[in-house]
Amino acid sequence: MLLQVDEVIKRFGSTLALDCCSMQVEEGEVIGLLGPNGAGKTTCIRSIIGLIPIDEGSITVFSQKQDGKNREIRRNIGYVTQEITIYEQMSGRDNLAFFASLYGMDKLSIANRIEEVAQIIGLEGRLDDKPKHYSGGMKRRLNIGCALMHSPRLIIMDEPTVGIDPQSRSFILRFVKQLARDGSTIIYTSHYIEEVEAVASRIYIMDNGHMIAQGTLPELIARIQGDHFIEVEVRIASEEKKLQLQQLPDVKEVALEGNRYRIVVPGGIPVLDKIVLILSEQGLVTINTKQPNLEDVFLTLTGKQLRDEVQS
Amino acid sequence: MIAFQLKRSSRDLVGHTVLILFPLALIFFFDYLYKNINIETGMGTGGQSPITALVIGFALTFQIYGSALSFETLAEDLFSPMQDRIFSSPVEIRFIVLSILTSSTLVSFLQTAILLVFSSIILGASFPSLPFVLLVLLVSVVFNQLFGTVLLLLTGGVKTANMVTTIYGSIVPMTVGLYFPLPKGEFFRLLRMYGSPMSLANTASLAVMEGQIRLFIICLAVLLLLIAVLFFCLQPLVRRISI
Repeated sequence: MLLQVDEVIKRFGSTLALDCCSMQVEEGEVIGLLGPNGAGKTTCIRSIIGLIPIDEGSITVFSQKQDGKNREIRRNIGYVTQEITIYEQMSGRDNLAFFASLYGMDKLSIANRIEEVAQIIGLEGRLDDKPKHYSGGMKRRLNIGCALMHSPRLIIMDEPTVGIDPQSRSFILRFVKQLARDGSTIIYTSHYIEEVEAVASRIYIMDNGHMIAQGTLPELIARIQGDHFIEVEVRIASEEKKLQLQQLPDVKEVALEGNRYRIVVPGGIPVLDKIVLILSEQGLVTINTKQPNLEDVFLTLTGKQLRDEVQS
Repeated sequence: MIAFQLKRSSRDLVGHTVLILFPLALIFFFDYLYKNINIETGMGTGGQSPITALVIGFALTFQIYGSALSFETLAEDLFSPMQDRIFSSPVEIRFIVLSILTSSTLVSFLQTAILLVFSSIILGASFPSLPFVLLVLLVSVVFNQLFGTVLLLLTGGVKTANMVTTIYGSIVPMTVGLYFPLPKGEFFRLLRMYGSPMSLANTASLAVMEGQIRLFIICLAVLLLLIAVLFFCLQPLVRRISI
């Protein structure tokens, strides 16, 4: 076991940020950590790295107890911070070299590793430019590269694609998948379900400081296999109709995304006619029933639409 | 690490320009006043020319503002999101603090040296016993950089450190008599010569140029003692922010 988080409790004043939070990570796994804003993802990550002390429970990393002072643990973790933490006035090469030096790498190893990392993050031709001349996506890639320099055993990425264009996001996802194929162990937190679906071999879902579910994607979907998912697109959607739908006895969850209602109902219960009746005045455009995906799992387990959280 | 920090400090061209050109402009201005309007410097110049005393005075004044070199760099690393990146590495925070202090001290001292060279070439200022004068100026730089760093770590905010050093850098030169003569009397003489770290550095510089070795050693020793005190204060403050 590379990482073991056991019943960790962390309080900030009267706020319970982590509530009996547990997690296990095996070598070579890519763990997707999914949760809405304030779920406790970053607190969980910062506890694992030892940046904040925990109040109760225990964390074991590389078979060593994480007490916040263990430098050997830190030496083997690469942390990609949620905010871009690079020196804008220094070149990409200087940034990579400096962060490698913090891990005790010698000059020759740093010089060789810079070329490798530059290739991974796709910045080969731009290393001698300053990041202030980079695009947002390039800065994000350098931000990741700085955490890869010392070839860590465990890479922790906290929302590594926040605020960048789809093209850069897909580039980052491609090289995260490549890192995974090369055997890296990765914890990848994101708001974006499709990212977690794309990269993770196992997924943890967090809400209100709890790990509410964990498993591979098929395992998670199997948990809600009995449910049906109905998507109804209307011309004019309203919160009032959403409430009416929620009050139907056979409806488990309702989420509203733009002009689209996403409704979870238990399988085998004929509820479509009631739904159509409520929404008919809103101008029905399309009605679909579909196979559940991770977004539906999230909706069923938390009662929240992750995308709404992102937008808020 | 020091090489990286030096490179980082050297990128702040606006800061360097302000800390070199502004004192030069003020030296030109005051030198013009002394020569043409027949007013006297308030500094005890001893046997030195007023321009020499002016250059030393302004060099010491702008060293105080130069303390921002270390505390602003430290704040960028230790009191910003960068903190997580650095603290998640195995490096000991005292190495980060010391490397930034060392590089900022070197850069600030270089600024002072450039000021002396320019004043010497352009305005004809002369500095007898130059190596000892440079020693005093270096000790003063170390004091100011440490002072700014302790302030930052004590208050935890770059704004407060900036405000305190700005106020300190505005008031202290007046007590040395840099901008206008102080009233006559023993109290003001003592204030001008020994009233602040800047006074001590100023007195030590002028003393060594005039061959008053005893006075030079006393003032330098007090400055070194103050540095030792700041250094001892620094240790628990660094431990406090370290994980």
